[in-house]
Amino acid sequence: MLKATNLTKKYGNFTALNALNLSVEGGDIFCLLGANGAGKSTTINLFLNFIEPTTGEAAINSLNVTQYPGETKQVLAYIPENLMLYSNLTGLENLDFFCGLGGKHYSREQLEGLLEQSGLQKAFIHRRVSSYSKGMRQKVGIALARAREASVLLLDEPTSGLDPKASNEFSELLLEMKGKGVATLMATHDLFRAKDTGTHIGIMKEGVLVEQFKSGDVSFQDLEKLYLRHMHN
Amino acid sequence: MYSLIVKQFIRSKTVMVTTLLILILGVVSILIGDQFLAKQEKAIAEVTRHQQEHIARNVSWIDKEMGLLLYYLRFALINSPGNLTALSIGQRDVNSGIQNVTIRNLEGQRYDTDLYNPTSLQSGNLDFGFVIIYLFPLLVIAFTYDLLSEEKEKGTWRLVAIQSKSVRGYLLKKLSVRALLIFIALLLLFTFATVKLSLAINETLMAFAVLGFLYLVFWLALCFWVVSWQRNSSFNALTLLSVWVVLAILLPASVNNLVANLYPVPEALSTMVKQRDGYHEKWDMAKGPTMDKFFAHYPQFEKYTLPDDDFSWLWYYAMQQMGDDESRQQSEAMREKIMQREKASSTAALFMPTMHAQLLFNDLAGSSLENHMKFLDHTQAFHEKMRMYFYPKIFEGASVNGVDWQQFTPEYFSEKPEINWGQAVLPLLVFIAGFSILAAVNLKKIKVA
Repeated sequence: MLKATNLTKKYGNFTALNALNLSVEGGDIFCLLGANGAGKSTTINLFLNFIEPTTGEAAINSLNVTQYPGETKQVLAYIPENLMLYSNLTGLENLDFFCGLGGKHYSREQLEGLLEQSGLQKAFIHRRVSSYSKGMRQKVGIALARAREASVLLLDEPTSGLDPKASNEFSELLLEMKGKGVATLMATHDLFRAKDTGTHIGIMKEGVLVEQFKSGDVSFQDLEKLYLRHMHN
Repeated sequence: MYSLIVKQFIRSKTVMVTTLLILILGVVSILIGDQFLAKQEKAIAEVTRHQQEHIARNVSWIDKEMGLLLYYLRFALINSPGNLTALSIGQRDVNSGIQNVTIRNLEGQRYDTDLYNPTSLQSGNLDFGFVIIYLFPLLVIAFTYDLLSEEKEKGTWRLVAIQSKSVRGYLLKKLSVRALLIFIALLLLFTFATVKLSLAINETLMAFAVLGFLYLVFWLALCFWVVSWQRNSSFNALTLLSVWVVLAILLPASVNNLVANLYPVPEALSTMVKQRDGYHEKWDMAKGPTMDKFFAHYPQFEKYTLPDDDFSWLWYYAMQQMGDDESRQQSEAMREKIMQREKASSTAALFMPTMHAQLLFNDLAGSSLENHMKFLDHTQAFHEKMRMYFYPKIFEGASVNGVDWQQFTPEYFSEKPEINWGQAVLPLLVFIAGFSILAAVNLKKIKVA
């Protein structure tokens, strides 16, 4: 579903991402760990085709994202660290609006259903987004991913700044989507969430994927040690 | 989709406040135009009433000497403003629309006018043309400068870029919603003006409206081009305001100054002095040469012989005629220079939409300099007609009571504007197409991150 082949991004002499190779299949949740500037967001941005690779290839469903931007965009959903919505519109209107942008149209009841399934309290569905917390906005993002029926989910530190309850709800929603065969690539700082939710974990440092393994292969304590060892080296 | 873009836009308080403000300014400008028309109509009614009284009073006092009576009698020619003049007052408050002339020499009377409220003259009128040309573009700028940058600065653009099938299409939809609101505001004001000023729905009004709409499309295209540079909001706002200053103030003022220097116009005063000299010096000269020149101008009056008296009305009006004849060259040179200025300004305006719109609005509203020049030409013909009617009566010593004075009511000059659609809309269409193409090229690649 998601494949990076020797994916490299340079800004002048600075290498933000160096020959990344990774693969995320349907039903996988691949968590990218690493300090700030490790290259996690660069990887996400390359798959989103927001930036072009210097060399290598980012592919979604075997299609190069720079060569097939329209086709690859259609199958993916994206939730950034801080999902920003139109503050003058309600949650439901935002969902309707962004679905409409992608050419998908739902009835009011269907939109309400999507938002409720994504954990947004009913009382907030028709309130303007300006009154939403960050967690509530992220839930609208999840609803949007559901509405798009995306087979690929790209998440850039989606639980950063969320309270534990909201983070947990978010993880449950990810697991639900995993069950539907969605391939998820998530950049995160949250080791616990990566171990708890992810199927695969990769550790990045200075633009290089220094370690990757299945989350079931390590305990949380081992993961923490491994992570800290890479960070301190 | 569209309804949500509309909701997202109009739920902003700033949008509603600025739209309301432009509507209020538009209504005020139309009411100012209405007041101007009322003032003009009052003046015309006053002149009509005054002319009848004035003739009756003088005829009752001077009932024996036609030459003396015609020394005093004034006859009005009125350049009556159309209702559309209220929308673009133009030169109408500078140049008098009423010429009240005697049959004595003309040049000294052509430029007689009452100047009232010079402060108002200096600042210009807040007419509807002003609102369209100078204020509506500010609304266009306010609505569009952050069309794209706002999304990037508020963080919604990344989601839009992923969700949207075509980000350019989305930007065009956003632009069209803003354009729609601007056009609705303009349409409401045009409707109000049509009703309030009882404007005839004809080709002239349609041309005025089409020009107004196209002018705003020009600004929308210009703003979209600046937006397509994909810079931040403050850069866009500053750039567009600078462009507004250049197009609305700097360039027209520079062109005006340049044209004034390229085509220096002799003062009307010097023409008047020449005319006065032409007339006054004849008092101290032999009558023969004056009469020879007069008869050369009007051979049909050669049959009238000059009496031996020291003074005769034939000689007097011949002297008056000499004032006009001897200043004719200067007067025509002045007219020619003014028309050269007008032509140069119109040519320059083809490259400056603000000037182009202003000049065309004035043309359509009958408030242009050209209209006034035509009125002055017509005044000359009117003056000549009155002379030709009264000269024989004066020279024959006809009875004052033998003339039907009731027939001399004010006459009217009116000129239907000729609409050259191609010349009116083509310069704007070229600019609109140019900016649209440039914007489309810039937006081929929209930066997201």
